[in-house]
Amino acid sequence: MANELQFKSVKEMTYTEAVSELESILQMMQGDKCDIDRLTDFTRRATELLSECRSRLTTTDEQLRSILAQLEK
Amino acid sequence: MKKPLAMNEQTLTLLQLNQRIAALMTVPDTQNVWVTAELSDVSVRGGHCYMELLQKHPDTGATLAKARGVIWANIYSRLAVEFLNATGQRFTSGLKVMVRASASMHPIYGMSLVITAVNPEYTMGDLLRLRREILERLQREGIIEMNRQLDWCEVPLRIAVVSARGAAGYGDFINQLYSNSSHLNFKTQLFEAVMQGDRTPSTIISALNQIAMQQDEWDGVVIIRGGGATSDLVAFENYELAANIAQFPLPVIVGIGHERDITVLDYVANMRVKTPTAAAEWLINRGDIALEHLRSMGASILQLVSDRIAGNKEQLSRYEVLLPTAPITAVERESARLRSDMLSLAQIGARRITPELARLDHIAGSIASATGVVLHRRNDQLNSMQAMLNALSPEATLRRGYSITRVNGKAVTDASHVPTGTKIETTLANGTITSVKQ
Repeated sequence: MANELQFKSVKEMTYTEAVSELESILQMMQGDKCDIDRLTDFTRRATELLSECRSRLTTTDEQLRSILAQLEK
Repeated sequence: MKKPLAMNEQTLTLLQLNQRIAALMTVPDTQNVWVTAELSDVSVRGGHCYMELLQKHPDTGATLAKARGVIWANIYSRLAVEFLNATGQRFTSGLKVMVRASASMHPIYGMSLVITAVNPEYTMGDLLRLRREILERLQREGIIEMNRQLDWCEVPLRIAVVSARGAAGYGDFINQLYSNSSHLNFKTQLFEAVMQGDRTPSTIISALNQIAMQQDEWDGVVIIRGGGATSDLVAFENYELAANIAQFPLPVIVGIGHERDITVLDYVANMRVKTPTAAAEWLINRGDIALEHLRSMGASILQLVSDRIAGNKEQLSRYEVLLPTAPITAVERESARLRSDMLSLAQIGARRITPELARLDHIAGSIASATGVVLHRRNDQLNSMQAMLNALSPEATLRRGYSITRVNGKAVTDASHVPTGTKIETTLANGTITSVKQ
């Protein structure tokens, strides 16, 4: 496609911004207005947002252990 | 020179004086009287409870009266339990109490009030009144609802904790928070405060001030009690502390009470929980809801995308089936359409021309009859004009007896114009007379 979609870098977004973008992508897909040519772009974007949001909410076991170790000092 | 003391004047030993004072003091008026006072410096040594009883000025707080008090171990062991059960409070400094006391004088320790009974209802009433006064003041100042009206951010993960280090409640909170099964990425920091006794309000307020200075780094505050199973909530019934929490810019969770105990802080904090563990559970639940929302959005997107792709594939395969026959079908469809167009054209023509022809016929008939009428009318007109002309003609005039006189063929209308001897012709209706003027 001629005009590449411009997305904001997920790292620069707040959690709330990321979630509302996800919601609007979902809404657009449900609304059947989504161009099939853009489907890949939007799916990739949604995946990126989802994984960023998840990673902000959750932590790895390793991180968790180091936090607990600090607390026990 | 000073006059030496007269040896004959009676001199007492100190012990004798103190005994005399004791005897004077120990009269029915000072024994087993109910007295109200405020507790201060309460301490328990060897099972006995020692305290200072105070009366303060209600407005200035200045001490108006003070006396040492004691509850002997045999009474205190029972009384402490009864008091706790009735009020939910430990028998501790800061409380207003009504006690049954007897004044006693010890030769060495001086006067003290020996307490044998306490009326817990007085203390309860005072605490309720104190709380009501604080709440009314917060209400009047319009700040009581401020913290309660704050919204939490979508997923509160950065939690400033106000508690005492090493306290059981703090440990419970941290363990619960970090052992959440969803691996939520909580960040906490302890802002230490004393969680019992007189220093409670001031140390909590200073911890809150530290948090307020870096408020952008925190999503909320949790105030949890250090530990110790005993209730010591009177320290939290404090206007300054309540006003600080009410106006705090971040939402505050208070977990200091027990199930049945409520302090004034429970009315002003954004949320009250029964235990530190409950505070952690609430936060974990918020995170879990957010994770579930993400999960369900992910699932929806996956479903939509696969539906979309499946739909498109189906569409393509249907086109594939149609492709070989499509041109023939199209040509057939087109010729059928042409045929039907032609047919309709002829029908339309016929339908339009027939009434037109009828209209022309009708017009032709109308023209013929209209011409006849006009001609007839003209003829009548001419006939009537002929009749009028006939009536006005010279012949008709002559027939009525008039005549025309002419000279040289010209009609004469004035006799003076005709000289004598001129030949005159007179025309009548029938014939002409020739004569000469005389």
